[in-house]
Amino acid sequence: MPAVRSSHLVAPFADRLLAADVPALGVVQRAEVVAFVGRRVDGLPGFIRLGVTGVAAVFRVLLPLPGGWRIVSALSRRPLPLLGEYPRLVRSLAYAYIWERWPQTPTGRGGA
Amino acid sequence: MSRSDAHAQVLVIGSGAGGATTAAVLAEAGLDVLVVEEGGWVEQGSVVPFSLEQMDRQYRAGGVTVALGLPSIAYTEGRCAGGGTEINSGLYRRPPADVLARWAVDYRIRDFDPDELFAIADEVERDLSVGLRPGAATPASEVLRRGADRLGWQNDEIPRWMAYPPDGNASQAHRQSMTRTYLPRAERAGARIEVGCRVDRLELDGPRARAAHVTHADGRRNTVRFGDAFVCGGAIQSPALLQRSGIRGHIGKTLAVHPTVKLAARFADVVNTVDDVPVHQVTEFAPDLSFGGSASQPGLVALALSDHWAAFHTAMTDWQRISVYYAAITSEGRGAVRSVRGVRDPIVTYRLTRRDRELLRSGLARLALVMLEAGAEEVYPSFRDAPVVRNRADLARLQDRFVAGRASVMTVHLCSTVPLGEAEGITGASSYGKVHGTDNVWVNDASLLPTAPGVNPQATVMAIAIRNARRFAASRSARG
Ligand SMILES: Cc1cc2nc3c(=O)[nH]c(=O)nc-3n(C[C@H](O)[C@H](O)[C@H](O)COP(=O)(O)OP(=O)(O)OC[C@H]3O[C@@H](n4cnc5c(N)ncnc54)[C@H](O)[C@@H]3O)c2cc1C
Repeated sequence: MPAVRSSHLVAPFADRLLAADVPALGVVQRAEVVAFVGRRVDGLPGFIRLGVTGVAAVFRVLLPLPGGWRIVSALSRRPLPLLGEYPRLVRSLAYAYIWERWPQTPTGRGGA
Repeated sequence: MSRSDAHAQVLVIGSGAGGATTAAVLAEAGLDVLVVEEGGWVEQGSVVPFSLEQMDRQYRAGGVTVALGLPSIAYTEGRCAGGGTEINSGLYRRPPADVLARWAVDYRIRDFDPDELFAIADEVERDLSVGLRPGAATPASEVLRRGADRLGWQNDEIPRWMAYPPDGNASQAHRQSMTRTYLPRAERAGARIEVGCRVDRLELDGPRARAAHVTHADGRRNTVRFGDAFVCGGAIQSPALLQRSGIRGHIGKTLAVHPTVKLAARFADVVNTVDDVPVHQVTEFAPDLSFGGSASQPGLVALALSDHWAAFHTAMTDWQRISVYYAAITSEGRGAVRSVRGVRDPIVTYRLTRRDRELLRSGLARLALVMLEAGAEEVYPSFRDAPVVRNRADLARLQDRFVAGRASVMTVHLCSTVPLGEAEGITGASSYGKVHGTDNVWVNDASLLPTAPGVNPQATVMAIAIRNARRFAASRSARG
């Protein structure tokens, strides 16, 4: 299976999610976290990476549309493998990074 | 191993609980042993336990691996010299006698003598310095004991494979993983250990495997010829390698795990112990259900709160007063490992049964009750739209809202993908681990356990691996 790079597809969603979840995070910090999430997604085992890439591509198309964030949020609440788990994956990677690196980061309101 | 083609009397693939013990026993019996390990050699203490750096260096895929299903189950595997033993919590449970007896009958395992396995367990306990933690338990561990005691529920401290300094300072303990114990022993007895070396497939000529095709971390490839191969890559990678090598049969069809759900609990005082895990376990409902504590660095606390972040996020500022706990079940569900030709990683799936889902629900509620009894001010269960639990009345809401499909289910105990025994149709290897239909391919790791043992599995993996390796060595010396 060719090595698919998904980081660029994941980045817009991860950025948006973090802006909603952890508004106290500065732009530079957020970019660092998003880059980390991208690296980890690129290192996923083959089939999972392929699935995540598919979901990330759909989310990427939807996000810029009017009401895109709401659609994406609703989709990610579906109890389907990968679809529902994609935001969970992004969150878990991002949160692990944020609070390991900056344990005193204040939190904000939750998003998707 | 030189980068040109190599040869060994016995090739051991993987250096975890199964591979390291196999290598030590066989090398000490005078056999010429080569161990190849996909991951690198990382000295204990050179990375912070449970950190992202550790995930990068010692876990497969940075710790992000998942068994697909509804819900999917996140799992982790070690990928380094010593395998899972380098990154695990070091909690030691002997194989339960009733489980061994059931396996012997149900899977028709020949000469599966519990006394022999317990005698091996005695040795392992000495070799790994298995014992209780000196001094007082950590506050996070104490929570489990206190809560369970108040409910009159059975609980105990689990011994660990740790060497403590003479002053008994538990924070300076060293995990007696394979890189500190059986791998050096194997080397002293003459075994060669090659790290950063992955076996892509075995080359077979009928029932006989002749060579292993390997790829080194720097991308170079070569071939290792051998007399016998012991596949000890763990319960996911061993069946995957056998399948990639074209070996059929009951391989990878019956993955068994201990699924867990978790919660975070906040107390009035500081409970978080960043550099250690709780050692108490609540066993009142074991083996169906048991409760314990997880690593609780701030990042992992955030993760435990992430399923209902909108409601739970404010707790994060109090992470020092929060610790994370799990409810583990003995699942009746099963999963599968499937390799597809030309694809590096297998697809892993797992299906929980209705009873499993109910156990997860009742387990999480009971665990929350333990927390309340221990004095938790607030409990945050890890599932989507979970309520904050502040009192017993909230437990009913937790139970009402819980759906396994919305929970973060995970596991670190993987087994049973190549069950041992003679029973047709349900075993992948013989009573001593030789893969059915082959002459010289053996499995000797967690894959052999016929079912999930209902307790932390490493001791069982090691006891069975040592038993099988001794049997193999004896048969070789009998042949001369
Ligand atoms: C985070 C965590 C915590 C745990 N906590 C506990 C605990 O407290 N108590 C307990 O009893 N158990 C615990 N376990 C489980 C325990 O670690 C495992 O049961 C045990 O390590 C399994 O041994 P194994 O030999 O089957 O596989 P592993 O120990 O996983 O070793 C397999 C090795 O093979 C290598 N490998 C795989 N494929 C190849 C290949 N193709 N070529 C070369 N090398 C390969 C891998 O890189 C790995 O190093 C935990 C596990 C984890 C991950």
